[in-house]
Amino acid sequence: MLKIQFFSLIRILLKRDAIDIPWVEGDTVQSVLNKTQAQISTPFLHKLLDEKGASHTGTIILVNRKNILHLQGLQTPLSDGDVLAFFPPGAGG
Amino acid sequence: MDKGWKGKLLRVDLTAGTCKTEALNEAWAKAYVGGRGLASKYLVEEISPEVEPMSPENKLIMATGPLTGTYGAANGRYMVVTKSPLTGTIASSNSGGYFPSELKYAGFDMIIFEGKSAHPVYLQIHNGKAELIGALHLWGKSTNETEDAILGEFHGDAKVACIGPAGEIGVHYACIVNDKHRAAGRSGVGMVMGSKNLKAVAVRGTGGVKVANPKAYRDAALEAYGMLKENPVTGEGLGALGTPVLVNVMNQSGGLPTRNAQSGTFEGAEAISGEALASSYLKRNKSCLGCIISCGRVTKLVDNKYAGAGEGPEYETLWALGAACGISDLAAITKANYICNEAGMDTITAGSTIGCAMELFEKGLISEEEIGMPLNFGDADAMVKLIEMTGKGEGFGKKIALGSYRLAESYGVPELSMSVKKLEFPAYDARAVQGMGLEYATSNRGACHVRGYLISPEILGLPEKLDPAETDGKAGWLKTFQDFTAVVDSAGVCLFTTFGIGVPQFTKFCNAATGTSMSDAELLEAGDRIYNLERVFNLKAGIDPSQDKLPKRMLEEPLPDGPFKGEVSKLPAMLPDYYEVRGWGSDGIPTGAKLQSLGLA
Repeated sequence: MLKIQFFSLIRILLKRDAIDIPWVEGDTVQSVLNKTQAQISTPFLHKLLDEKGASHTGTIILVNRKNILHLQGLQTPLSDGDVLAFFPPGAGG
Repeated sequence: MDKGWKGKLLRVDLTAGTCKTEALNEAWAKAYVGGRGLASKYLVEEISPEVEPMSPENKLIMATGPLTGTYGAANGRYMVVTKSPLTGTIASSNSGGYFPSELKYAGFDMIIFEGKSAHPVYLQIHNGKAELIGALHLWGKSTNETEDAILGEFHGDAKVACIGPAGEIGVHYACIVNDKHRAAGRSGVGMVMGSKNLKAVAVRGTGGVKVANPKAYRDAALEAYGMLKENPVTGEGLGALGTPVLVNVMNQSGGLPTRNAQSGTFEGAEAISGEALASSYLKRNKSCLGCIISCGRVTKLVDNKYAGAGEGPEYETLWALGAACGISDLAAITKANYICNEAGMDTITAGSTIGCAMELFEKGLISEEEIGMPLNFGDADAMVKLIEMTGKGEGFGKKIALGSYRLAESYGVPELSMSVKKLEFPAYDARAVQGMGLEYATSNRGACHVRGYLISPEILGLPEKLDPAETDGKAGWLKTFQDFTAVVDSAGVCLFTTFGIGVPQFTKFCNAATGTSMSDAELLEAGDRIYNLERVFNLKAGIDPSQDKLPKRMLEEPLPDGPFKGEVSKLPAMLPDYYEVRGWGSDGIPTGAKLQSLGLA
């Protein structure tokens, strides 16, 4: 099982904090993004990705708290039990 | 000179009780932009770097930038520049709201306060006319009460910047609060104001700000508005969740300093997050004058043992009064934030100092008897009580009022103060974000996030993503961020605009407003000039390069948790690079050639 955590505007949009997605061999961040969207009726992927499917500048996707931009990006392979965190672009200070 | 700059400054001699108008030094304005840069130039020229911060010989300068009060991006900032009583460095504390623009509308770019009044006074400014008014009746009043009283007796539409009781009784991190909820927060500028018996500045102005080239200015403003509106951070995110969105970001990233930075993740983060605030005490967002970002948090405590209403908490406050103290009670944090605002205290240093005191208590270095109560991490009631005591100068609050460095030093353990140059670092752990550690070590006012916010590229991926664990190249990034930030501050614009617009937009704004024809590189060079000016002041004030360091905990105690578990700050690997890209000697001192190239020698 994979745990998907929603933060910031996505949490407000979806009105939920997290969901579980069954893990299958060969899962990547990209495939799990698609599976998550398929499981949730409200469109949210546009908050993270552009129309070509690339991450917006400032999108933060973490796998076990590590940013996928320093792993293998959207093609980062996933293992059973991984925790994913989705943040749309955000800032403060 | 009425082009961006109004061309006038007000000099207030508090000892003599006089107010005089002077022409602004145009050559300095062009070289140092305005605000932070120009006020620093005046300070450097007019006081000895060795001056005692609380003496009448120190000066307090309130300065706007050439863009303050204009339309465009978020052009409503002013800065308070003085020698800091907390750090001994040059201080520049920055605030937005409505007061800064009103000062321009009343005809002034800046106010220089010198000397010390024999009794409490406040300054009234009404369209170019200024006079000092007795303020004995305001002394001891909160910032809210002070503003309400002045609006009643002076002008209902006036804008007010004032100190609360904290500035009067010598809290080392007293701030200057304007428009009730905005603060020139860090470095203890409110303590200097209090030392001069200056309670408040009240301004009413009905003029405007002219720009040199209205057509070019309009074009620059339209471009900036469009970019800010389209950017997901400035166009939507900051308005909806404000700065508190960072609680979960930093906690997930393993860089949320917890329990006086003993760890980098906080199990209570969700309860004090921006998402939690938005679904509980947040009533609406709010903007400063002319800003489309609208990141302010208007909040009210309801159905809770803590009552009150106001603005905040912001991210740094949620961390300082929350994670830094191991506290996950959002209502208690919000209440303590209100108390800080009304007393006029910097929430970052206040919370960080209490977190430090909690560690001292748990290590047995401070007794329950001395504090008057137990002070364990996570004790929200004790935190709120101690904040109240600090604002009133009562009991152990007098020690909290000294800041964490002086507190920890008095118990023989200064290394337990999470500070650099005696300024507490904010809500990012230097072991999880390497470049930010370099910023803390080299910032001209001590451990500060808003001098070179490398969190933006290292964590947020703006304008591009850097690996927070890497050290290579961070020195160059930091120099650019520090120089650009000096320009943004000096221009009188909110730093948050830089999530959406960059150097080219600022160059267009500055040139159109002031009639200059600077290139992007020349504008950044002005930032470099300002940074070096501040550095040289600090060196002459005795803050030598050996102070470009981090607390031992950051360098020697590996993070015990999170994605950067086992990491320490690699500051020693980055500092030589930083000195080199700055054009300084390997000893950290700007070379003669460098200073000459900037017109500082």
